Amino acid sequence: MKTVWIHIVYIISRLGSRMMRFALIIVFSFQSWGLFAEEIDFNRDVRPILSQNCFVCHGPDKAHRKAKLRLDTEQGSRDVVAISNTSQSELIARITSKDSEEVMPTIKSGKTLTPDQIDVLTRWVRSGAKYAKPWAYISPVKTQVPKNVSKGWAHNWIDSFLFAYWNRERIKPVRDADTVTLVRRLSFDLLGLPPKFETVERLKKAEDVNAVYELIVDEFLSSESFGERMASYWLDLVRFADTVGYHGDQDHNITPYRDYVLDSFNQNLRFDQFTREQLAGDLLDEPTIDQRIATGYNRLLQTSHEGGVQAREYLAIYAADRIRNLSGVWMGATLGCAQCHDHKYDPYTARDFYAMSAFFADVDESKHFAVGSNSLPTKRPPEISVLSRKDREELKSLEARVPKTKEIEELIKKIKSRSVLTMVTESIEPRVTRVLPRGNWLDESGEIVQPAVPGFLGKLNVGDRRANRLDLANWLTDPENGIGDLTARVFVNRLWYLFFGEGISSSLDDFGGQGSPPGLPDLLDNLSVYFYENSWDVKKVIKLIVMSRAYKLSSSISDELKTKDPINKFFARQSRHRLSAEMIRDNALAVSGLLVNDYGGRSIKPYQPKGYYKHLNFPKREYVQHQDDRRFRRSVYMHWQRQFLHPLLKAMDAPSREECVAKRSRSNTPIAAMVLLNDPSFYEAAESFAKGLINTTHDNDEHRIEEAFRKALSRLPSPQEKSVLINLFKDVMERDEGQKDIEIDAWTAVSRAIFNCSEFNTRN
Amino acid sequence: MLKTQKNYINELNRRSFLKGSGLGIGSVALNEMLAQDAICKDTGVPGLPDLPVRAKRVIFLCMAGGPSHLETFDYKPKLDELHDKPMPESFTKGQPIAQLQGQKLKVQGHMTKFRRHGKSGQLISDFLPWTAKMADDICILRSMLTEQINHDPAHTFMNTGTAISGRPSMGSWINYGLGSETDELPGFVVLSSVGGRNPQPIASRQWSSGFLPGRYQGVEFNSTGDPVNYLRNPKQVSRENQRSVVDAVKGLDQIRNESIKSDDINTRLSAYEMAFRMQTSIPELMDFSNEPKHIIDMYGAKSGDGSYATNCLLARRLAERGCRFIHLYHRGWDHHGGLENYMKICCGLTDKPTWALLTDLKQRGMLKDTLVIWGGEFGRTPMFQGKGGAGRDHHMKGFSMWMAGGGVRGGMSYGATDELGYNSVDNVVHIRDLHATMLHLLGINHSRFTVQYQGLDARLTGVEKANVVKEIIS
Repeated sequence: MKTVWIHIVYIISRLGSRMMRFALIIVFSFQSWGLFAEEIDFNRDVRPILSQNCFVCHGPDKAHRKAKLRLDTEQGSRDVVAISNTSQSELIARITSKDSEEVMPTIKSGKTLTPDQIDVLTRWVRSGAKYAKPWAYISPVKTQVPKNVSKGWAHNWIDSFLFAYWNRERIKPVRDADTVTLVRRLSFDLLGLPPKFETVERLKKAEDVNAVYELIVDEFLSSESFGERMASYWLDLVRFADTVGYHGDQDHNITPYRDYVLDSFNQNLRFDQFTREQLAGDLLDEPTIDQRIATGYNRLLQTSHEGGVQAREYLAIYAADRIRNLSGVWMGATLGCAQCHDHKYDPYTARDFYAMSAFFADVDESKHFAVGSNSLPTKRPPEISVLSRKDREELKSLEARVPKTKEIEELIKKIKSRSVLTMVTESIEPRVTRVLPRGNWLDESGEIVQPAVPGFLGKLNVGDRRANRLDLANWLTDPENGIGDLTARVFVNRLWYLFFGEGISSSLDDFGGQGSPPGLPDLLDNLSVYFYENSWDVKKVIKLIVMSRAYKLSSSISDELKTKDPINKFFARQSRHRLSAEMIRDNALAVSGLLVNDYGGRSIKPYQPKGYYKHLNFPKREYVQHQDDRRFRRSVYMHWQRQFLHPLLKAMDAPSREECVAKRSRSNTPIAAMVLLNDPSFYEAAESFAKGLINTTHDNDEHRIEEAFRKALSRLPSPQEKSVLINLFKDVMERDEGQKDIEIDAWTAVSRAIFNCSEFNTRN
Repeated sequence: MLKTQKNYINELNRRSFLKGSGLGIGSVALNEMLAQDAICKDTGVPGLPDLPVRAKRVIFLCMAGGPSHLETFDYKPKLDELHDKPMPESFTKGQPIAQLQGQKLKVQGHMTKFRRHGKSGQLISDFLPWTAKMADDICILRSMLTEQINHDPAHTFMNTGTAISGRPSMGSWINYGLGSETDELPGFVVLSSVGGRNPQPIASRQWSSGFLPGRYQGVEFNSTGDPVNYLRNPKQVSRENQRSVVDAVKGLDQIRNESIKSDDINTRLSAYEMAFRMQTSIPELMDFSNEPKHIIDMYGAKSGDGSYATNCLLARRLAERGCRFIHLYHRGWDHHGGLENYMKICCGLTDKPTWALLTDLKQRGMLKDTLVIWGGEFGRTPMFQGKGGAGRDHHMKGFSMWMAGGGVRGGMSYGATDELGYNSVDNVVHIRDLHATMLHLLGINHSRFTVQYQGLDARLTGVEKANVVKEIIS
C-alpha cells in the first residue's frame, strides 16, 4: 500500500506543483476505493489482525471456540468469510455492525478494529479471502540476489537484498560509520570487550581498508573472547545458572556445561551437532566426555527438593519447563501455552505438548526428591566428575610419557584433583506420559502419549521404535526431513539481532501467528538457507553479516529515515544501544587494566553488597567474595544466583535465567545509575585507571585527559569535553586541598566521570 | 478503547509506537516499549485509570509462610468436635498434600479461642487482640483459594498470577499502569522482617518486573547497612565531589548529544539526577527524628532494627511520599509444629504494628485512598502435623485474608469455608479475583489491562475468568 502511495506521490511531484493539489485529491480518492491498493498479503496484512482480535474465540483452541467458527483456516471460515461480494459476507457485516450485540470483536473483549483494519479485511474478502500458511512455518527459500541495484555500493549479497528494499521504499542508507565507531562496534559485538587503541589505529592507517577490516574480523573470530561473548547469549536462551532456582536456591554442579558452550563457539562446532549433543549427547555412539557434559542442557531447569514437594507434581512442572525452553530456543515457539489447552494462535495442540514432553520421559531426574540436600552445592544426581578440555589434553600427554618420573606423577595427581562434578543426562526406562487435562497433574484420565513432534509439522520416520531425544534433535536440524530450515531461520534472526540490535523479525521468541512477520523476508530466508547449506557454520554467517556494508553504517538517523523508517525495520542505518550487563563490567575492567582474561572454569564472585543473600535459607549463607584475581575475570563467569541475581547484573537487565530469554530489555534506571556511580568494583576500576594515568603520563592535565579518552573511548576529547573534565579535576583539587592522595582522588573523579558517561557504556 | 488523557502525545512519543489500536488498554508492543525507558516521572499508560479511583496506593502485608486461618479468622466448631479423630476421607481423597504425604491424617482442633469483636461482631481469634480492635475497619475474606501448595511457587502465584517464573509482579504492573507519584523514591518498595519459625526463603522473583521494563522492578530496602544497595557514595567520596562527578557526566553526555541527538541520553540524564536525589531522599525517609514519640511508640518502631513494626512506620512514610506499592514481608509463619508458640511470636511481632499502621493512616485521612491487604501465600490444614508440637501443614483450598481502606467496606466478612475449614465453598475468592478487585479499586479494568508478551495479551489476572468482588466495595 505504502509503496504504491510513494510511487504515486513521486510521479505527481514530477508533474509540477500546480497539478499537484488536484492530483493528490485523486490519489486520496483512489486510495479509499482501493483501486491502487497493493495486493493484500494474508500473512503480512490480514493474519495479524485476525490473530490479535479473533483467534482467542475463533482460533485453533477447540475447547474455547465460540459458535463452532474458526477463522485461522480457510476450511473453517469459508461460510462467513469467503464471499467475494462483501455485502453478503457475515464477517464484514459483523465487524462493521453498529449493533452492540452483533458487533465483532465483542464489546466485552475490549478489542476494537480500526478503520484501516476494517479496510484491510474488506479488501481481503473482496479479493477472494485467500489464506496462506503462517510465514514462520513456510520453508525459507533461496532466491536470486538482486542484481545491479546498488551501483557498486554493496559489499556482499546482504547489501544487495537490503538495497532492493531501500529502492522499493525509496530510502537511502546513511553514511558509513567512522573508523573509531566501527572498530569499537565490531569489538563489542564479537568479543564483548573494547578494542585496543592500536587496532583502531591500524584500520585508520590502512591503505586497503576493507582488507585490513577483514583481517581484524578474522582475528576477533579466532579469539577466545569470541566464545565468551557468544556464550553469554546462549546461556540466556538455555537459562544456565549456578543455582536450582526454587525454594532454597542451593548451588548445583553445572559449570563444565558453560565451558562446553564456550568451546563450542570458539571451535565453531556445527550448530546442528551443537544441538544434537545438548539434547541427546548421551544417545550418540560412544559419546565423548564433552558430549556427555553437553547433555547438562537437559538438567538446567529449575528444581526443588523443598519439604512437601510431590514428585509427580514436580515432574510435571519440569516437563513443562523443558518444553517451554526447547520450543523457545530452537523453534522460536511458545509451546508452553499448550500445557493447559490447545494453543490460541498457533496450530499446537495440548496433545502435541505432552507428546513433545514424552521425548524427555527417559531423563533420570527424580533422585533428588529423595537425596537433594540443603547444602552448597546440593545433590542433583546423576552427576559425573570431569576435567576441563585443556586439563584432559594435558593429562593425556602426561600419561603417555615413559618413564613416569615422580614429578610427572605429581603433576597428574594435581590435574586430576581439579576435576569437578557436573549434572548430565542419563537415560532410564521412560516414565509414562499422559495428556494432563488443563495441565492438572492429579488428573490421570488423559490419554497416554508416545514421543512425537507437533502434528502439523510432520512426523518422525522411526517405524515401530519409540522415538527418542536424538530423533528429536535430528528432526530439529534436518532441513529435508525435519524442520531444520525453520530452526536455521530462528537462529540467524537472533544472530542478526546481535549485530544490528534488532531482529529482521522483531519477535525473536515468537515465530508464530502472533509474531511480527519479518520486514525483509527474502533476506531472512536467504540467510537461513545459507546457514544450513554451509554446514551450520556459525562463524561463517557472523562473518558474512559483519562484512556487509550495512553493518558498517553509522547509527545516526537521517531526517529522511526519521519519518520513513523510525523503527529501523529496513536497516538503512545501524543501531545504538546500551552495552549488556556483562559488557559494562568487562569494559570497565578492561579499560582500567584490571581484567584477568582467564578462560573457562568455575564461577567467580566479585564484590557484592553485604547481606544481599539474607532472604535465602536452607541453608543460610554468606556470599564470600573472591579476594584474588578471580574477581577481575569476565562477567560470563559470574556466579548466577537465580533468586538473587547479582545486583549489578540485575540493574543492567541481565535475566535471572529461570526461563528462556532471547532479548533482554535495555533500561536506563536510577538504580543502574547508582550501580555505576557507587559499586566498589567500578570505583576500584576508576581508581586503578587513574593511577595508571598518573604513572604513565607526564604531569600535564590536558595530556592526561587526552590519554584517558584514548584509552577509554578510543578517541581524543574535544576542547569542550576537555574543559568539563578539567573543571571537575580542579573542583576536587580545590575542595580537598591538603588531603592525602588528593591527586589520585581527583583523577579518580575524572575517571569516574568518563566511566559513567553514555558513550563509554554504549554500543554505537 | 478509551479516549486518552492529557499526556497522550508525550506518551506516544515516549513509548514510541502503540502497536495497532485494536488492542486493550496498555497493550504496547513490548519490544518497542523496552527500547524506551525511564523519563523522570512516569505518568503511566495512557487511558488509565479507566474506572473510578478508590485507592491510590497499596500496602500489602504479606505474612509469608502461610498463617493458619484456623487460628486467626476461621472458626469451625466441628473442628473442635472432631479433634484427634481421623480426618474424614471425603475431604482429602485425591487431594494434593504437602508434608503430610503418606501419613495418617487426623483432625486438629483450634488452638485458640475466637470471640466476636466490634459493632460488626466479626469473629477473630485471641491471637490477634489488636487486629480485633480494627474489626469494624477490615473486610475479612474467609474463602480464599490458591493453586500452589509449596511456598516458593505459591508466592509467585500470589504476586504474579502464575507459578511460571518471569512474569511481572503486581507492584510492577500497578506502577507500569498508573505511573509514579514521586520522582524521588521508587514507586515499588519491598521491606522484609524476621521473627517466628525459621523463615522461609523469599526470592527476588517476587518483586521482579518480569517482561515489563526494569524500572518497574520492586526496590528492596535493607534494614541494616545501606538502606538500598549502592546508595552510599563509594569510599571517601564526599557529597560535593559526587555532585561534581554527576555534573561532569551530564556535561559529557550533553556534549555527546549535540551530535547524536538521542532521547536515550536525556532519559539517562534524568536517571542520574534521580539517583542523586535518592541518595538524599532515602536516608531522609529512613530517619524517624521528625516523628513524634507517641507515633513511634504506637508502632513500637526503632529506626534501623529491621522489625516489622519499623517497616510498618516506613510503609506509612513511603505512602505519604507517593510510593505506589509497598510490600511488607514477615517471614515466620510456616507453622508445621509448635504452632501455638510460634503464633504467639509472630502475632506478638506483627499484630500491634498492623493496628498502628491502620490507625495512623486513618487519623491522617489516608486510609480512604490506601488499600491495605493482609494475608499469606496460603493457609494451613485442618489436619494435625507434629513437627515439634502440634502444627499444621500447607493448605491451598481454603484460607483467610483481609482488606481495608481504599474503597473496601469495613466490618464485614465475605465467603466461607466448609465445616472443617478445608475447602472454600461459599463466595470463593480466587487469587485472580483478589487481583481483579485490587486493580478495580485502583481504577483499572483488569481484563483490559494487558501487555503483549510472546504473542499473548498477558494480564495480571491471567487467562482464566477473574471476578471483581463487588460485594466488598463500599
